[in-house]
Amino acid sequence: MVLKDVLSKETKSAFMLGNEAIVRGALEADVKVVAFYPGAPTSEVLDIFSAALGSFDYQMEIATNEKVALEVCAGAAFAGIRSLTAMKSVGTNVASDTLFVLGYTGVKGGLVIVMADDPHAHSSQSEQDGRFFAPNTYIPMLEPSSPQEAKDMVKKAFEVSERHRVPVIIRTVTRINHQSGIVQLDEMSRSEFKKVKWKELNEEYTTLGSVARQKKLRMLERTAKIAEEFDRSEFNFTKQADSDVGVITSSVSYLHVLESLKMLKLQNEVNILKLGTTYPLPKKTIENFIRNLKKVIVVEELSPYLEKELCAIAKDTNPDLKVFGKKSGNFSEAWEYNPDIVAKGIASALDLEYGGHETIVEEASRLKEGIPDRYPTFCAGCPHRGTFVALNRALKIQVAKGQEHYFSNDIGCYSMWIFPPISRGDSSLCMGASVGVANGLSHVIEERIVAVVGDSTFFHASIPALVNAVHNGNKFMLLVLDNSVTAMTGQQFNPSTEFIAGGRQGKKISIENICRAIGVEFLEIVDSYDVKSNVEVFRKALDYDGLSVVVSRRECALYGDRNKRRRGEKIVPFYVDKEVCKRPYVCLRTFYCPAYELDEDRQPRISPELCDGCSVCVRLCPLQSVKRTEVKA
Amino acid sequence: MSLNIFICGVGGQGLVLLTTVIGNACAKSGIKVVTGEMYGLSQRSGAVSVHLRIGEDAFSPLIPYGKADILLSLEAIETLRYIEYLKKDGVVLMNKRIMHPPIETSKLITEKGSKYINLEDIVAKLKGWTQNIAVVDALELAKKSGNVRTENSVFLGCLSALEVFGVDEKSIRESISEAVPKRTIEQNLKAFSLGKQSAHDSLCTLVPCRPLL
Repeated sequence: MVLKDVLSKETKSAFMLGNEAIVRGALEADVKVVAFYPGAPTSEVLDIFSAALGSFDYQMEIATNEKVALEVCAGAAFAGIRSLTAMKSVGTNVASDTLFVLGYTGVKGGLVIVMADDPHAHSSQSEQDGRFFAPNTYIPMLEPSSPQEAKDMVKKAFEVSERHRVPVIIRTVTRINHQSGIVQLDEMSRSEFKKVKWKELNEEYTTLGSVARQKKLRMLERTAKIAEEFDRSEFNFTKQADSDVGVITSSVSYLHVLESLKMLKLQNEVNILKLGTTYPLPKKTIENFIRNLKKVIVVEELSPYLEKELCAIAKDTNPDLKVFGKKSGNFSEAWEYNPDIVAKGIASALDLEYGGHETIVEEASRLKEGIPDRYPTFCAGCPHRGTFVALNRALKIQVAKGQEHYFSNDIGCYSMWIFPPISRGDSSLCMGASVGVANGLSHVIEERIVAVVGDSTFFHASIPALVNAVHNGNKFMLLVLDNSVTAMTGQQFNPSTEFIAGGRQGKKISIENICRAIGVEFLEIVDSYDVKSNVEVFRKALDYDGLSVVVSRRECALYGDRNKRRRGEKIVPFYVDKEVCKRPYVCLRTFYCPAYELDEDRQPRISPELCDGCSVCVRLCPLQSVKRTEVKA
Repeated sequence: MSLNIFICGVGGQGLVLLTTVIGNACAKSGIKVVTGEMYGLSQRSGAVSVHLRIGEDAFSPLIPYGKADILLSLEAIETLRYIEYLKKDGVVLMNKRIMHPPIETSKLITEKGSKYINLEDIVAKLKGWTQNIAVVDALELAKKSGNVRTENSVFLGCLSALEVFGVDEKSIRESISEAVPKRTIEQNLKAFSLGKQSAHDSLCTLVPCRPLL
């Protein structure tokens, strides 16, 4: 994160991450209210705004979930204040209830929603294509292909939003948010933050029944006007060639197209239409582009969103046009693209020889045979590791007694429990769903159900499902892993932290108080590192004939390390005393800490660079062979 | 200049900073640069990778297979994981350090006859692709510079040893000084020099290298 360039008063070229460019664009556009729930690949937008809070005059919230974040921004925009939120693909699902209504009510101040899809599901539970939200909600959408365009579009989106009194979606994909490039910084002129008088604005934002019916008509008129405007937008442009073949593309696929045409030596042989305003689509621009073409290749990741629209337009404008895309089988709806995939697709559409990348990938895979996978894993010192060792032991004892289990996992670092070598989990859906499905399962399966959520997920979407469980008398065990922060996305603050955006003091919300207030009768709070005594607590919770909640608490190791460094405390690593260790391998069989490896004598060894000094393995070792390194005074 | 560098390693090794240093130096020198970065999730110990592309005709943030001039790897096993990106006879700058993933270690005690992949295996496999390999003991050099967390600066030095890396050394050193915490600047610059020396020693008879000052 290069905060310096984001804050810079200079107008110069800077090397910026897509997410940094988004923040810079919003600051240049004088944004006044921002709110987020973190989610890859947008989390840096939140982090940068939080870090920049001391330097500029704006209000910021790290909200409990994406819906609340959007509503915070909507509130500001109703009063004419510019606001921005950013969310990952699936976060939009949570916010969508509000999103749909905002299409009807509109806004006064510019409201920009950055929605980041994740083709390839790099860090998501699905490859959801969020573009369909735009036509569904009648909310305009812009799609950048680079950090520079992301910045330009954010600024333009505020103007479009205010001109047409409607929120605007900036739709990115992981390869935009996490793409860096050279960005031209424009002038940063910020106005003073001032409250406004609501009464003087003479605004209303209601919609229901007959009011909604009237607003629907206005929404359609608005969309037609925006479509006209988008037909003149600089974000849609063509690269002309003396040829009857064209490519229509948008987002990062545009860059892959340029690269692949270079690879195929077709750089000046194919016309390109690059679309930046993908809802409403610039129909006239598309008509003009395809009118004299014989073949069009549509290059877009995930669903055939542009392709279907294009086919509809071509039916009237150029019925003989041959369209190549997903329906024709030249491209797949699965997984993200790269230059090789796009080159192959284009070559196949044009019946060209393509050397192909399969040979090189195949040759590489032969060399790679036998190399170990590196799954995401719990960090050294992670409290979840301790919790799960204890839970596993408790489950084992229960199994021996004849009790079997269903493990309902959720979204957070603990999701990684589904990866080897742990490989545990009967289901894992989306934020808070572990508790929701536990309710249903409790009616129909004989096994004892264990549902797991983290602190951030608890506040985000689990509370309604927990209230439901208490109210209906549903029986299962809920394990809340409270590590004080939203760890998986970069240790952002949440209601379980005593801080709020910008590191300011906030009010910490007690998970156990919420449980008590709603009538949870079995409630235990344990220290995640305290493996041995936790086994007994978990066993009781499993045996309990009702809803049992255990809060396993210990701050995230990375967050804790940062705090330790700030306080000037040293992280003291442990080592295995080879004289004492008789190699029962308890550490390696159950603990799976990345700081552990075997030395040349097959003796466990702790890498001092990786050890976090958490001491949990010390508590597990039956021979007391793990010792603290002596620190020289 | 047109140059593709594939950078990989393990979460927590400072790949993001390494990328930022090169990118900032390019921005200052008016060189076009584009990257595609994959940090996995925010945990340490997972695989991370960066496609870094320098030059006017680099469009996609992703390097086409077999088109990377340099494969820079902060962890030895990871070098092999991304070998398909390296062109045949491209340059490998790789760390001697192996960080065995927990899954590999747990196999060692549960499966009879199973053993760790070692550096010799990895280098032998890599030689099926290229001979231009510099194995750098970056952790040792980082320790020598006075800060174990400067492995990334060691590798910036390695890059600067190569003639093909057209970003000048002065702007890389400046960019390091701006990007790292103030009290570690000297250590990072020392790590840089040690890295440059090391890559130079391994590669100067194989590929064009810059003279050491």
